[in-house]
Amino acid sequence: MSIRVLNPNAEVLNKSAALHMTINAAKGLQDVLKSNLGPKGTIKMLVGGAGDIKLTKDGNTLLKEMQIQNPTAIMIARTAVAQDDSSGDGTTSTVLFIGELMKQSERCIDEGTHPRFLVDGFEIAKRATLEFLEKFKTPVVIGDTPDKEILKMVARTTLRTKLYEVLADQLTDIIVNAVLCIRKPEEAIDLFMVEIMHMRHKFDVDTRLVEGLVLDHGSRHPDMKRRAENCYILTCNVSLEYDKSEINAGFFYSNAEQREKMVAAERRQVDQRVMKIIELKEKVCSGTDKNFVIINQKGIDPPSLDLLARAGIIALRRAKRRNMERLVLACGGEAVNSVDDLTEDCLGWAGLVYEHVLGEEKYTFVEQVKNPLSCTILIKGPNDHTIAQIKDAVRDGLRSVKNTIEDEAVVLGAGAFEVAARKHLLDNVKRTAKGRAQLGVEAFADALLVIPKTLAENSGLDTQDVIVSLQNEHDQGTVAGLNHHTGDPIDPQMEGIFDNYSVKRQIINSGPVIASQLLLVDEVIRAGRNMRKPA
Amino acid sequence: MREIVTIQVGDFANFIGSHFWNFQDELLGLAEDDGADPIFKNNFMDMDVLYRTGLTHQGAYTYCPRLISIGSQGSLGTLSSSGSLYGDSSSSDATDTLTWKGAVTKLAENPREKNLFLKSLSEEGEDDPNIEDKDRVQCLERDIKFWSDFSKVHFHSKSLYELNGAWTDFQNFDNFGDGKEVLLGGLHMEELNDRLRFFVEECDHVQGIQCTVDDSGGFSAVASEFLENIADDYTNIPVLLYSVRDTFSYTDATKQRKLITRSLHDAVSLSKLSTYSSLIVPVGLPSLGGLAPSLCVRDEKNFHSSAVYASAIHSISAPFRFKPAGPISNTTYAAGSLDIGEIIHILAGQNRQNMVAILDVSMPAPSLSDKANPGGILNSFHALGTEIGDDSEDLYMDESLILNGALFSGADWASVSQVKDSICNVYDKGLRAKPRPSHLSISLTPLPIPLPFPSIFPTTTGRRGEILADQPLEGPPKGSLEVESVPVMTRLRSSISIKPFIECRYNNLLRHGMLRGAKGAGLLRDWGFGKDEVDDMGEHLSKMLRIFNPSSEMTSDSD
Repeated sequence: MSIRVLNPNAEVLNKSAALHMTINAAKGLQDVLKSNLGPKGTIKMLVGGAGDIKLTKDGNTLLKEMQIQNPTAIMIARTAVAQDDSSGDGTTSTVLFIGELMKQSERCIDEGTHPRFLVDGFEIAKRATLEFLEKFKTPVVIGDTPDKEILKMVARTTLRTKLYEVLADQLTDIIVNAVLCIRKPEEAIDLFMVEIMHMRHKFDVDTRLVEGLVLDHGSRHPDMKRRAENCYILTCNVSLEYDKSEINAGFFYSNAEQREKMVAAERRQVDQRVMKIIELKEKVCSGTDKNFVIINQKGIDPPSLDLLARAGIIALRRAKRRNMERLVLACGGEAVNSVDDLTEDCLGWAGLVYEHVLGEEKYTFVEQVKNPLSCTILIKGPNDHTIAQIKDAVRDGLRSVKNTIEDEAVVLGAGAFEVAARKHLLDNVKRTAKGRAQLGVEAFADALLVIPKTLAENSGLDTQDVIVSLQNEHDQGTVAGLNHHTGDPIDPQMEGIFDNYSVKRQIINSGPVIASQLLLVDEVIRAGRNMRKPA
Repeated sequence: MREIVTIQVGDFANFIGSHFWNFQDELLGLAEDDGADPIFKNNFMDMDVLYRTGLTHQGAYTYCPRLISIGSQGSLGTLSSSGSLYGDSSSSDATDTLTWKGAVTKLAENPREKNLFLKSLSEEGEDDPNIEDKDRVQCLERDIKFWSDFSKVHFHSKSLYELNGAWTDFQNFDNFGDGKEVLLGGLHMEELNDRLRFFVEECDHVQGIQCTVDDSGGFSAVASEFLENIADDYTNIPVLLYSVRDTFSYTDATKQRKLITRSLHDAVSLSKLSTYSSLIVPVGLPSLGGLAPSLCVRDEKNFHSSAVYASAIHSISAPFRFKPAGPISNTTYAAGSLDIGEIIHILAGQNRQNMVAILDVSMPAPSLSDKANPGGILNSFHALGTEIGDDSEDLYMDESLILNGALFSGADWASVSQVKDSICNVYDKGLRAKPRPSHLSISLTPLPIPLPFPSIFPTTTGRRGEILADQPLEGPPKGSLEVESVPVMTRLRSSISIKPFIECRYNNLLRHGMLRGAKGAGLLRDWGFGKDEVDDMGEHLSKMLRIFNPSSEMTSDSD
């Protein structure tokens, strides 16, 4: 209470009040996200004060959209979002797990157990569960040609929790193919090499994978072709516009004549660069039916566009920086920073380049490329919030495939792991813990069940029935998960329901850490201190 | 054509921007209005410099500002972030979700109600004969919460960006660290870069970027990161940056901790923003009372102060869009065309390389033949920044002067040559030392006063902003219903006067952040700056100071 002496405005909550405040916050957050979980969860539509709509079923997005004020809730939310940042999924599960750990602890604490024992028990249980996960996981042999089926199953499991089945299944193929396309042996997968482009057009089922690249701009000259076959692609970062470089060089013209001269000289330099490109085009294309496309990261001004158009070249300016890399991976060749020493080897190749115009938006498709190592997922949807939601789902799907390849393992889903882990904890681990730490292990084990319980609840099933029948299956030695249609136990392996190993491991790792920190809070002091950062 | 891309970052910057675009909208409207004064038929001003022509999916043409506005989530008021022009056709049945067949929970905020002014724009209140313009003007004076409350402009669907920082409390978004944090882990920069690319790609020849940043809080970190990206991607595009603050940001901090936070923020912000821009103009006064008696501004209203700053920024931007007039550069309507690159060169590229300029404004500018003012109209300037020293002895001053719609006497507008003569007269008579070089731009079009402009003119102001002699001095201030236009005169100067401003920030960084045992060192670490980076910032600021002291340059180079 000495804080009151130092700062009379400080609000101090004593130990049990503090504990209940944090537990309530954790439970509150859990309640908000609970209905999201699983293929039968509820989608949330957020409508802003000005009528802007946001659709999400993703815990991560939802947490970010909510204006959370409670410091405990913020701490949990931060952990959950960090989970998403590092492994791409599992936000909702993390929040549920932490909430349930707190709920189970509350019961023990009310009965007189000191939080310290629970925390000790959590630690034992956590380590044991992680060990158990190592045994329980299903190894996946990746090698040079990964098993596409298993990748699809993981992607489908994720996507079906975010999108309706038909769309989820369609995207599953797209996503797995996209990741396999950009995958290089012996190298980490760079998901940025999958471009995600969207068009507000038609319906969501038109979403497709483009082996090649879709750029969100087009040529800027009326005489350039809108469609060309057999194209050389020059990827470059060369200014083809007249810059007022004298400004930057600190030189300032003193009269109009001098100015004209400067302009003319500068213009000549730009023209020379354009001519070099045209020379190369003539060299590689003349006498054939081949075409030539320039995709430039810098600007191209109208006089340069004129010259290029007259030479029959298609030119795009101000390409995305990241597309320089993607283009080279998709089409071959190299990205050049200067037009000196241009050779045919610098050029990439695409069988087809064409433009698609929607109102003021232009899209350029670069397709039919050889051995693409970069590709584009083109999302179509009738409105912005639909597109945004599909986009979020696609990102999650891509991460799940990448995780699988990097983990070389998956974990049986539909709640099977949680039920099995609980059984392991109660049967084998609990008795190894000393004294009252056993209560912590037990609370941990029961908290794990929050996943199958919530899945059942969201499917409108009777939670207790479901849990009992699942436990019976496990007691008999069969690994079973929840069939969310009927509530009966199923074999997740047969049904193809798999979760990411790394996501599961991280939930188990971070959940108890945060819960323990919250349990050990014995005083909350509110005195204008910034409580937003996690400890 | 030389396009300008405008960027507004932060709430107060958007307040200023809202006024700024209202002026442009008013100019566009007056140019097409047959009943308007011929002076507004400005065929010498090329509005395409600031605006772009677009096409919606439905095939309708649009004409929108080439703008990116960044604000905090919820700061758009009744405005939809995708604007009103590119609304998707399906928005009426948006409630059926196409991506999920399961249950849907709808969480809706209460729809915000439009004020009388906005209702009249959207034709909801148009038919109501009981509501007059007077009521609309009054409702704006009474209650402005969001910048969109007084905006009459249609924005492009890619223009308005809401920053939704996970758990950022935008009420207390008051330092550089907060701003850095909000960008962490999100795709904000990616999205902003994409939007900027959309606007830049369609430009044939960008003359520059005009950027207004609310630098009193976390938004300066957002802006500096964005500008850093811009500097990387568009190497040769000059950036003219106004770092603006509202009057509230000057309220005295009582706690020492807060004081240190603020002074470090100011130092870091200046250092970072100046690194990634070509010319930086601090704008913002703790009180606008000094502008009396020509204006009566209520300090507690951002609606008021932002209108003054926007008028000045509008005036400066006028010469950027004079149409090239063939071999003779002087038309009868305008003279002294400049582009952003040139004005930056005049101010920051010549005598000294000082890149922090001072903005002075005179509004409404007195008439040229005003006998009561022997020092000439140049004495009517008020600086819009703080911590400004004296530059009467400064031999290396550079300045650029811009007059919009100056009055000759009474309510008669002056011609281009009359304006030139009067200004030359002031210098020739030695009434004021003439900085060399000095640039003069003249536009005959005065600042139009749109309906949603605050009532800040004294009772003695006439329809054209002239001073009426026969009016009582007391009375309620006049607004857009009584005043149609005002002459505005602005000046950007680069002089030694800015030295105290930079010095103060440098010393604060040194004292609170760099010295051994400095109280704010930990704070800078919290904001994610390593020691090296802090040293770099200190070095950068000291370099900005050194140019005012040519003799010490040699010695400081050697260490």
